[in-house]
Amino acid sequence: MPRSFIRTLLCALAVSGLFAQQTEVVLSATSSAKLVLAMTSPKVVGLDEATVGTEFTAVLRRDLDETGVIAMLQERLPADAAPVKAWKEAGAQWLLNTRFSRAANGDLQLEASALDTAAEKSVFTRTYNANRIVPLRHLAHYLADDLVGRLTGEKGVASSRIVFVRQLSPGVKEIFQVDRDGAGLLQLTRHGSLTLSPTVASDGRLAYVTYKGGAPEIWGQRRRDGPHEKLYPLSGAGGMVSTPVWSPDGKRLAFVQGDRRGNSDIMVLDLLTGRARRLTDGNGISTEPSWNPQGTQIAFTSDREGGPQVFLMQDDGSNLRRLTGEGLYNASPAWSPNGAMVAYVSRFEGKFDLFVYKLGEGKAYQITTGVSTSESPAWSPDERRLVFTSNRFGSSQLFTTDLSGRQIVRLTELSACQSPRWLRGR
Amino acid sequence: MRYGIYLVPAAIVLTLGSLACKPPKTAEQIKAETQAAFNEGVQAFKDGKARETNPYVNDKENPHKMQGWYDGWDTAKADKAAADKAAADKAAADQAAADKAAADAKAAAEEAARKAAEAEKAAAFRKAADAALKTIHFDYDKSEIKEKDRAVLQSIADFMKAFPAAKLEIEGHCDERGTNEYNLALGNKRAAAALAYLKTLGVDETRFTTISYGKEKPLCTEAKEACWSQNRRGEFKLK
Repeated sequence: MPRSFIRTLLCALAVSGLFAQQTEVVLSATSSAKLVLAMTSPKVVGLDEATVGTEFTAVLRRDLDETGVIAMLQERLPADAAPVKAWKEAGAQWLLNTRFSRAANGDLQLEASALDTAAEKSVFTRTYNANRIVPLRHLAHYLADDLVGRLTGEKGVASSRIVFVRQLSPGVKEIFQVDRDGAGLLQLTRHGSLTLSPTVASDGRLAYVTYKGGAPEIWGQRRRDGPHEKLYPLSGAGGMVSTPVWSPDGKRLAFVQGDRRGNSDIMVLDLLTGRARRLTDGNGISTEPSWNPQGTQIAFTSDREGGPQVFLMQDDGSNLRRLTGEGLYNASPAWSPNGAMVAYVSRFEGKFDLFVYKLGEGKAYQITTGVSTSESPAWSPDERRLVFTSNRFGSSQLFTTDLSGRQIVRLTELSACQSPRWLRGR
Repeated sequence: MRYGIYLVPAAIVLTLGSLACKPPKTAEQIKAETQAAFNEGVQAFKDGKARETNPYVNDKENPHKMQGWYDGWDTAKADKAAADKAAADKAAADQAAADKAAADAKAAAEEAARKAAEAEKAAAFRKAADAALKTIHFDYDKSEIKEKDRAVLQSIADFMKAFPAAKLEIEGHCDERGTNEYNLALGNKRAAAALAYLKTLGVDETRFTTISYGKEKPLCTEAKEACWSQNRRGEFKLK
């Protein structure tokens, strides 16, 4: 009885916490680990100021706020023309100035510069040229990515995109793509069938599973921007195939093949030779392969010791070891882009939550807290955030979270989404 | 008078000459006589006389009559042969048509009977399939066949034995809890469990295919056990 009371209390706290993050955008500004950045209003010549406000400034603010390394100064802002000292006193470490101008041929130019308010010297200057078809929001993304690059040494992910599966009608699911900020929704497949498990190679090639021929088959692109064609099985029936995942070098596809005895095994298909090799040993379910960034190891889910748990092995199937210790249902491993962490989901009290296992520490950290179910974690290319699905607002939708689990952002308002993958946009 | 002596021999010559050389027949006469002889020949054939009875065979004076008679007789014979043949052909054709009609009618009757039998068989097959191919259910994250579903699988095995041409696809499904990919593997395990059980009941396993839909095709989408338990299922579909 006291235990359930505590749980209720925890849930209530979590709910209120979540609510606070949804509205409290200044929250990140209080973090001392982040660089506090202020921006003056863009100087605009030759285009509509209101458009710049909604399609550039607002987008840039949100981009920077979601970087995890920059906090936007939002309150008690000095006037645009105030001296640098005033900005420093207001708390800004960097001051960003932007200027738009339109050339005679309609091309747009954005000049951006950032000033270190303490040293009163320039830390960043860059000019962006864009023809008339590039949306302003893309310029905001590019600038945000470059500012993060200047600050951390690794380009940001504002211009990244997310590929995911969406149900169009019962039994019909297709693969879609959306920009990281929820704009630019694009349908990538039109099979009119159950189409699942997208994976995108570093050069942009897509692969996935489709049931268009009755039995599931792996389809995808053999070359960049190439047509979607069947990759496996090339002849005969493949039985249950699922979950293709490109190796980091894009030459191999790890996938899962089920047999008629109920086993599912991790396979690796060499795209060049067309040869598929079985890595696991037909011992119950092995699925959800995830490569380490070197392409030498694979994390996967297996029920070989009872319920599903996360295991690791070499890419030849050797050196098999269990990663997750606690919990009866741990699954959906996602190896982080730099290789030091594995995100996964764990079930507790009927809810699924995201966890991150830090390989160096040998410890798992909980990211989301069981208000609702959170599933299918996938890393941002800069390893600072995770995209996942959650039914916290009803039907399964896409969200991103930072690794503290405090800054959860809804990506889209599309319903019935699953299996997100996050990739660099440029 | 001195020319009188020539009159007598001249008269004699003329008389003899006129006796020896009758005037030649005209072409019309010959044609008419030939036609007459022809008609006689036709009539002779019709009267059943032999060809050797040609009355003009010895009439050296009128070879055209002999020829006309023969032609008449031959033509009549040829006409009769042709008429006989046409009649025989017609009779044969009539017989063939009658035979064919009879055969067609018989075949149609047989076909109708066969179709009726087939339809009856198909209806019986469908009825048996509808009765036998019930859905089975599983516990959460489990693929063991439940006690209460054994009777269902026995009916399916009986159905497969009663209809040796029947082929089935076994579909494995899961509830919404758990990952998409793990549930695809679990659905495969459930389909395989049903297949293994049917094999123990003596049905040839090559008559089954298995497929997993994981949690991708739920029957019901509410987040509660009453709904989840419906979704954790094995379905049997005719192939």
